[in-house]
Amino acid sequence: MLILGIDTSCDDTGVAIVQDGHKVLSNVIASQYNAHERFGGVVPVIAAREHTANINFILESALSNAGVSFSDLNAVAVSHHQGLMLSLVVGVSAAKSIALACEIPLIGIHHLEGHIYSALMGRSDKIHFPFLCLTVAGGHTLLLKVISHGTYELLGHTRDDAAGEVLDKVARHLNLGYPGGAAIEKLAETGNPSAYNFPRPLMNRSDGEFSFSGLKTAVIAAIDRNPELDQADLCASFQQAIIDVLVSKTIRIARENQLSQITLAGGVALNQPLRDSLKNAASENGYDLFTPRRDLCMDNGAMVAGAAYFLYRERGANPLSIETLANAPLGTGGIRYRQKSKYK
Amino acid sequence: MQTLVLDTSGPYTTVLIALDGNLSTACILHNRPAEHLHQQIQTSLKTVSIRPTDLDRIGIVRGPGSWTGLNIGITAAKTLSHILNIPLVPIRTLDVLVATSPKPAWALMHAGRDRCYYARHTLSGSKEIHVASIDSIDQQIRMDSSSVRVLEYGDIFQDRFRNDSRYQAVQRLFPEWLIAALKYSPCIDTESARALTPEYLQPSHAEQDIQKKLDLC
Repeated sequence: MLILGIDTSCDDTGVAIVQDGHKVLSNVIASQYNAHERFGGVVPVIAAREHTANINFILESALSNAGVSFSDLNAVAVSHHQGLMLSLVVGVSAAKSIALACEIPLIGIHHLEGHIYSALMGRSDKIHFPFLCLTVAGGHTLLLKVISHGTYELLGHTRDDAAGEVLDKVARHLNLGYPGGAAIEKLAETGNPSAYNFPRPLMNRSDGEFSFSGLKTAVIAAIDRNPELDQADLCASFQQAIIDVLVSKTIRIARENQLSQITLAGGVALNQPLRDSLKNAASENGYDLFTPRRDLCMDNGAMVAGAAYFLYRERGANPLSIETLANAPLGTGGIRYRQKSKYK
Repeated sequence: MQTLVLDTSGPYTTVLIALDGNLSTACILHNRPAEHLHQQIQTSLKTVSIRPTDLDRIGIVRGPGSWTGLNIGITAAKTLSHILNIPLVPIRTLDVLVATSPKPAWALMHAGRDRCYYARHTLSGSKEIHVASIDSIDQQIRMDSSSVRVLEYGDIFQDRFRNDSRYQAVQRLFPEWLIAALKYSPCIDTESARALTPEYLQPSHAEQDIQKKLDLC
C-alpha cells in the first residue's frame, strides 16, 4: 500500500511516500529556516505563505524521488490536528485535492500520532503493546502509554513550556540562531555538564508531570548576571538538567506502569546525549529503548504516512469535509494534554 | 470546455462549474472553506455528472482577500491543476467586481488599518491595483466624473457614499461576474501554476511590525 503523507503543521513543508507503513521511498522536507531566521522564531503568516508557495514543488520532488506518479498512490494522509492553524490548512487543502482528483481515501492524522508512530516504523514486529512513548518536541513534552493502535493513556505532560521550546528560547537569548536545539547540543559537546547546578524541576515528584519554564528562567538569569560566562559550560549544564529530568521521569513511570518497552520521539529525540542517556538508563533497568531514524525525528511527511498505514485499518478513511484543528484531543479516548490557561 | 472556478477570497466561498462560458452549477457557502471547499467541488462535479478528469481548466481568485481563504483556495486549485495537468486561470478580485460593468468604474476593497485596495478601471482597460488610505480614495472618487461607477467588495465605504447613486456594495463575487472575469484573465500553464501565491501588494502586518522593530534596533 503506497501512501503519500503531508505535514505542514509548523514551519517545515514535509511530503513523503511510504510503502506498507515502513519502507520510506522518499521523504522531502523543505525547511523555512531562511524565511524565519531574522525573526528568531516562526511567524505563522509567513509560514502559511511559504507552504502555499512550496507545496507543489515538494509534492513533485517527493513523487520523482520515489519514482512514482499520482496514479500509483493508494491513499493520501495529512496531519490535520495540532499545529499552527494557518499552516495546517495548506497541507490539508493539498491532501484533499489529491484525494479528490485521484479518487483515493483521505486519512487525517493527529500530528502527535505521527511522532508516536515514527519510532514504530520498520519495527512494528519488535514493539508490542502496551509500551511507553516519550515525545519531546518544540510544542509538547509528554509521556504516553500506547495501549493499542490509536488508543493512548496520558501518563504525564508539561505544565508550561515544552523541552524543545526551552532549548530554542535559551539559544535565542545566547544569540545562537534558530533552531536552537542543535546549536546548544554542539556547544555542549565541549562544555562541563556539572559546571552550573541548574534546577531539575519536578524531578523527584512521583507523577509524570514536567515543568521547564523555571529552568529556562534560571538559565536566562544566569546569563544576564554574568554575560562573560563560558557558553559551552552553560549549554552543557542546561542540557544535562533537561536530560536528567526526562530520563529519570521516564524510567520511573515505566517501572510504575510495568512497561518494558520505551520509545523516544519528537524533534528533541535528535539530541544524541539524550538518546545515549536514555538508552543507558533503560538497559540498566532491563528495558528496551527504540528511537526513530534521525530523518523521522523532525516534523516530516513520512511519519504521517507511517501512522496512516496502521490507523487506516483501525479507523478507515475520513470524508473530504474533515476539519482542521490547532489544538485537538488525541486518540480514541480524546486525551486533552494542553494547559487550559495557555490555550484559551 | 469544462471550467471549475473557485473563490475563497471573502466571507463566502463560491464553487462553480461552467461549460463553454455558460454556468452549469454554482454553490455558495458561508465561510469555513478549510472544511467544505473540496466537499463542495465533489458535489458540484456530481451535479453536472462529470469526473475530475473531465475538467479542462481551473479558475481561481488569487486576491487580494482573506489571507487564509486564499491560501486554501490557491493550494487546492494548484494541486488539482498539477494532478489533472490542466491550465490555471488566476483572477484578481478587483477585476471580478468590474467584469460586467458597462461603464468605467472604481473597484474597492478593504486592505485593513484604514487603507483600501483600489483600481480605476476604464473601458480601454487600465487595471493596476494600488493601496491608499480610505480618506484619500474617498476624495478622489468625489472629484471623479458623474458617469463612473463605484463598486466595493465589502462595506467600509457604505456610510460615506450612502446617498451616492454611483455606489454599489457587494458581499460576495457573483458567479456571472466570475465567469465574465475569466475572459479577461490570462491563462497560465501547469508549470507556472505551481509557483502561484496569493496576490498581496504589501507585506503582512507581522512582517511590517517586526521589520519596524529591527529597523529601530
